[in-house]
Amino acid sequence: MTLDDLRKTVADCNRERRTIDLQGGNTLRAFGAPQPRADVTISTNGLSELLTHEYHDLTCSTRSGIRVADFAVQIAKHGQFVPIDVPQRRKATVGGALASGWLGPRRHFYARARDLVIGSQVLLADGTMASAGGMVVKNVSGYDMTKLYIGSFGTLGIITQLNFKTLPLPQRRRVLIAKLPEGTRDRAAAQVTSSPVTPAAAFCIEGFRKAIDGEDGIDGRIYILLEGSETLVDRATRDLRSALGRAGVPETTILDTGAGESFERILDASIESVGERSVTYRDLGMPGDALARGTALRDAANRHELFTDTLVDMMNGDVFLRVSERDSRAFAEKLEGCDDEIRALRPRSVIAAGDAPIRASLNSWGADPPAIEKMRALKAQFDPNRILNPGRFVGGI
Amino acid sequence: MLVQRLADALGPDAVKTQPEDLSVYAFDAYSQGQMPKAVVLPASTLDVAAAVKIAREFGEPIVARGAGTGLCGGAVPAEGGIVFSFARMNRILELDVRNRRARVQPGLVNLQLSEQTARAGLFYAPDPSSQKTSTIGGNIGTNAGGPHCLSYGTTVNHVLGLEIVDESGEVVHTTVEDSGYDLTGALVGSEGTLGIVCSAWVRLLRSPEAVRVWLAGFPDVETASAGVSAIIGAGIVPTALEMMDRLALQIVEAAFHAGYPTDAGAVLLVESAGFDDDLQQYERDIERIVRDAGATSWRAARSQAERDALWAGRKGALGATGRVAPNYYIQDVVVPRTKLPQALEAVETACDSRGIRVANVFHAGDGNLHPLLMYDRSEPKEVAAVIDAGNDILQAAVELGGTISGEHGIGYEKRGTLTRVFSTQDLAAMARVREVFDPRRMLNPEKIFPAGVGCGEVR
Repeated sequence: MTLDDLRKTVADCNRERRTIDLQGGNTLRAFGAPQPRADVTISTNGLSELLTHEYHDLTCSTRSGIRVADFAVQIAKHGQFVPIDVPQRRKATVGGALASGWLGPRRHFYARARDLVIGSQVLLADGTMASAGGMVVKNVSGYDMTKLYIGSFGTLGIITQLNFKTLPLPQRRRVLIAKLPEGTRDRAAAQVTSSPVTPAAAFCIEGFRKAIDGEDGIDGRIYILLEGSETLVDRATRDLRSALGRAGVPETTILDTGAGESFERILDASIESVGERSVTYRDLGMPGDALARGTALRDAANRHELFTDTLVDMMNGDVFLRVSERDSRAFAEKLEGCDDEIRALRPRSVIAAGDAPIRASLNSWGADPPAIEKMRALKAQFDPNRILNPGRFVGGI
Repeated sequence: MLVQRLADALGPDAVKTQPEDLSVYAFDAYSQGQMPKAVVLPASTLDVAAAVKIAREFGEPIVARGAGTGLCGGAVPAEGGIVFSFARMNRILELDVRNRRARVQPGLVNLQLSEQTARAGLFYAPDPSSQKTSTIGGNIGTNAGGPHCLSYGTTVNHVLGLEIVDESGEVVHTTVEDSGYDLTGALVGSEGTLGIVCSAWVRLLRSPEAVRVWLAGFPDVETASAGVSAIIGAGIVPTALEMMDRLALQIVEAAFHAGYPTDAGAVLLVESAGFDDDLQQYERDIERIVRDAGATSWRAARSQAERDALWAGRKGALGATGRVAPNYYIQDVVVPRTKLPQALEAVETACDSRGIRVANVFHAGDGNLHPLLMYDRSEPKEVAAVIDAGNDILQAAVELGGTISGEHGIGYEKRGTLTRVFSTQDLAAMARVREVFDPRRMLNPEKIFPAGVGCGEVR
């Protein structure tokens, strides 16, 4: 579908009050509320062109339907990148990644993808196009409208173009993995997060063994991604290995070849589901209590005799908890009580993955955010006929 | 009646109505606006909400004001009303060292945040030149930048959440990393037209292990611009990359004796922060790159004192201009970094043709120009010439693919020019947001958006 076709379709839908199911790469369909049935399906897959890469300026502009991995390959030709860390990056689109507001594990290190967007073009519900920002790296001309479209799940408008600030690719990338002996987790984590050389990403993982390299120790395993100059990565490796040693973790495996693919598998694991027998919760919070939150959520699920896999982002504080069972009927029975307990502990936790029938029985977005009335008012301003992904977003927006 | 109600709600000391008190609030660093009817000094979010409700009842517009250092007339009343000063809400409310963040009140002075968190090994990255006086609330209003935004990003990248009061007097809480629309992102940079910031969670960064500052001298601004492109083009993003031209160097050196070469046509002030091993390599790389690009001199600051002196000169450049001209007008435009030579040429043409002296001191790495046009306000012809030249510079930036403000904001000064970069539809989208937070247009009216044809609804 060309941009012109898209514009006409949306204008027609708005006039006839037909609802639109908006699709990018369809990789995060299970994140948030299940997609309600809609009259029309619109895909941005035809809008897949990298419009310009001004590599001397460290900026680029792309249509939103480009795959995250393709986008990365194209701008890497000039030694640059944009840290868009989403699961299934070969399928996911740049527009979908940003529209979902997915928060990646390298954001503490480079910036959120949201902070690297310098301009956008959006197709609004009434069929008009609106631009915001531009192709310069600093801009305070008018409201920063792009911020509203990012993370809006397409409910305010359809992102058709994004302009980014690009970054120089790091010289070196390395993964460190360590099995954690009993009673070492907290000390090891403290060593990693306070390390003078900050890791690009660092996780404490329990389970997800099929999805991600490595075996658990009794306390799970630690996974560290280092990025930077050769010198810095070498220094960080030395520092971290000896710090982990002091914390009682004797062995650290180094992965240089395949570090990128290994990191991709981590990103994929955060939404990996086991058919109809699993649901994954995402709980955002501060890094300081992330391990404790992860443990509390895991224990809640274990009390309901569910299997658990946890992925704790130690640098940003995100917790992913996957709960599962061997058979789907038993799972459905146990999940109800487990969900109540998880929501009592963390009311704003969100369902990040799971089969649609199961998610339909859960409140996928958790408790409403504090400013929900303002959000509803914004939706009413931008899409008064509620044609764009109605019901997909928080609070039934 | 209005004044009495405000005094009853906030206390008599928190309301100012005497003309000699009010007159200060009719100015900011750009211009003079209207005298407000009253100035209130709230001490809490509840005070703000109460005062907003009273203002609403009496139909009085509201202008939130930080330190009044703004350069676009954003903090001056356009039509009387009530000015909210945050001089009494100036504290760090919570410092969360473990998670490297702080909750601060809007009246806290930018530099004090870094000073007060330095003991914990932390600092607040956005550093506008006004940071010794400008406040976090004002910085949020304009999405303030500063030299170090090149690698750290502007204010919006460092605000994690806000507590605001909207036009109805309702308190609204926003968080960046939460489900729902990114209201924080839209509120930062909205120049007080969507809400009044009462507190903010801000991100703090760990103080770097090492910092190095270098100074490269060039025969002229064109060669220095080539140096900027060469550094960025080589994939090196320093923490700051600033340029000063010959006149700026002379002015700064006369005032600060910072050690800038007055015989150079232009200098690049380059800073990198991080780890010493990396910085040694950067030093070698950057020196080679700028020399290949035509640098005629190269100096590395060897001590903290030397670094501080160079930065004091750079950040004090605006004030130092007072030594050579009674008044100056500072323009703030951005162009893609590789278009700097053309943009600087446009500045020169706009000023030379009108006999205006101009000094350039700016964030070259971001492509963010700040020409300082010198004039005498008592000479109407000079004032007119400066306005015309500023306008030409603005237009040139737009034509080079840039924009009309990089960090100072639109305020009152540039509200008529927003249509040069945005269509009616673009502005209408912004108006929809205004409608949600300030449907009656009582928060900082007559700012940002053009009055008149095509966007009447965006007043």
